[in-house]
Amino acid sequence: MTDSPTAGQPVISTEHLSKWYGQVSGLNDVTVKVPPGITGLLGPNGAGKSTFMKLVTGQLKPSKGTIKILGEPIWGNPALYHRIGFCPEQDAFYERMTGLGWVTALVALNGLEPAEAEAAARRALEAVDLLDAAEKKIGAYSKGMRQRVKMAQALAHEPDVLILDEPLSGMDPLMRRKTIRLIREWGRAGKSVLVSSHILHEIESMTSNILLINNGRILAEGNVHQIRELIDTHPHSVFIRAEDPKALARALLVEDGVISMRFEPGAVSVETARPDAFYARLTEMAASGEAGVIDEVTSPDDNLQAVFKYLVKQ
Amino acid sequence: MASLFQYRWFQILLLVSFGPFVVRAVQFYFASTNAQVAEFLAATPDTFREFLSQQGLFVFLVVIMQSGLIADDRRTNALQLYLSKPLTRVEYVLGKLVPPLAFVLGVTLVPALVLLILQIVFAGSVTFLRANLFLLPAITLYSLIQALLSACAILALSSLSKSRRFVAVMYAGIVFFTAAMYQVLRAITGSRKWAVISPGEMLDVIATGIFRSRVEPAVPVYVAIVVVLVIVGVALVILERRIRAVEVVA
Repeated sequence: MTDSPTAGQPVISTEHLSKWYGQVSGLNDVTVKVPPGITGLLGPNGAGKSTFMKLVTGQLKPSKGTIKILGEPIWGNPALYHRIGFCPEQDAFYERMTGLGWVTALVALNGLEPAEAEAAARRALEAVDLLDAAEKKIGAYSKGMRQRVKMAQALAHEPDVLILDEPLSGMDPLMRRKTIRLIREWGRAGKSVLVSSHILHEIESMTSNILLINNGRILAEGNVHQIRELIDTHPHSVFIRAEDPKALARALLVEDGVISMRFEPGAVSVETARPDAFYARLTEMAASGEAGVIDEVTSPDDNLQAVFKYLVKQ
Repeated sequence: MASLFQYRWFQILLLVSFGPFVVRAVQFYFASTNAQVAEFLAATPDTFREFLSQQGLFVFLVVIMQSGLIADDRRTNALQLYLSKPLTRVEYVLGKLVPPLAFVLGVTLVPALVLLILQIVFAGSVTFLRANLFLLPAITLYSLIQALLSACAILALSSLSKSRRFVAVMYAGIVFFTAAMYQVLRAITGSRKWAVISPGEMLDVIATGIFRSRVEPAVPVYVAIVVVLVIVGVALVILERRIRAVEVVA
C-alpha cells in the first residue's frame, strides 16, 4: 500500500538517510517523517538543507538509507517527479529567455502540449504576481522576480508536493509577505510544502511544524517554541538594500528593539532584538513608501549559529 | 535548433554548405550531356564518397556550433531543473543529440541523396543506380556514422565544461591536432597506421569500405570501426558520469 498525503500518511519519510560527498558528510543518519501540510526546514548554510532537498527531489542518490515521497522511492523514479515541484536556491535561467518562455519550456517537460504548457505557465506566473513581466527577458528581472519565476516553474504543473529551497531569499518585504501568504494558501489548498530557510521568523510565519537541521543531522522536529525563545534571546541581523538607505535608517532608528546600524554601499545592516516587530514595520514601510523603495531584504545565517551551538551543547 | 536558424550567419553557412553540391550537380549535368566530359567526370560510387568527405568542413562547422548544448545548461544550472522534471538522463541526452545529428545529416545525407536523384534525372535513366544499388544504404550508413561520431564527441566535450567557447576550442583542437599529428608521424615513420589517432582519417577509411572504393585504406576497415566505436563509447561514458542534476565536487 502506498502512502498518500490525503490518508494522513507522511509525505516524505526517510530511514537512516545519509549522503556523503567523498569524505565529507552532507547528511548523517536522518530518520524523519514529514506530515502533509507545510513543513519548514530550518538550519544555517551548510547544515544539510539543500542536500536533504536534493535527495527529496531525486537529484541525489542516497549513500545509505531510504527515502520515500508519497510512499514511493524517489531515486530513479522520474514518473514521481510529476507530483513534485522544485524551486532551487540557485538561479537556473537562460537570461535571454522571457519568463513566460522559460516557464513554458520547463512545464512542457511534464509532457504537456505547447498550448497547454503556455496556459499553465501563464496561470503560474499570475499566481506569483509576475504576469505583467512575463514577456520581459529574465536578464532584466530583479532578484525577487527571479525568485518568483523559479517558484512559478515549480507550481505550474500543479504538483502535490512543493519543495522550496530558500524561496524568500532576496525578496523585498512586500513580495516576501505575498509569497508567505501564497505558500500558506497552498497549504490550505491541500498541497504539501517543504520550505527551507535559515530564518526562523520566515518559517514561523508559514508554519509551526519545523525540522531543525545542523551538521547534517535533524536536531529537533515538530512545534519548536523552545527554539523560538532561544532565538529571541539573540540579536537578529537584517541586511536591507534600499533606494535611500539613510532615510530608511532614520525611520528605523526610532523603532523599539533596534540595537545597532551599519551603512554599506546602497544598503544598511540593522541589528534588532525584536525581529517580529521589525519585519512587520519594514513591510509597512515598504508598502507606504515612507522611506523610499526597499529593494531587497536578507538575513545572514549567523543569527542561527549561536542558537545551534547552544542546542548541540544541550 | 530553431534559435540557430534565426541567425543570418547560420543561414549563410547552410547555403554555403550546398556549394559543393551545386558543383557536383553541374558536373553530373555536363557528364550526361557531353560524352567527352563524361569520360573523366562521370558519376562513380567514389564521386559520392569524395563528396561526403568534402562535406567534412561543413560537418565540422555545424557541429562546433553545438558546443553550448550541455555547457550552457551547466553554466546556468538549468540541468538541475530539467532533471527535477519527469525527464530521465537518457531522454535528456537523446534530446541533445537531435540538433547535431539533424544538422550533420542536413549537410551530408540530404545533399548526397539529392545528388543521386539528380544523376538519374540528368542521365534520363536508372542504369547508374541499378549498377550501384548499394549507394543508397552506403550514403545513409556513412552519413549516420559521421553524424553519430560528431554528435557524441561534441556532447561529451560540452558536458565537461561550462564554457561553450572552451568546448569549441577543445573540439577544434581534437579534430585538427589529431589530423596534424597523423601527418607528422606519417612523415617521420613512413607508416600510415598512425591514422588511428585521427578520427577524421578513420571516417575516411570506413568510407572506402562502405563505398567499395579502390583507394587503399590507411588501416583495415575493421580497425577504423573499432576506433570509432571506442570514441563513441568513451563519449557515452563521459555523458553518463557528467549528466547529473547535482555536481558533486568533493
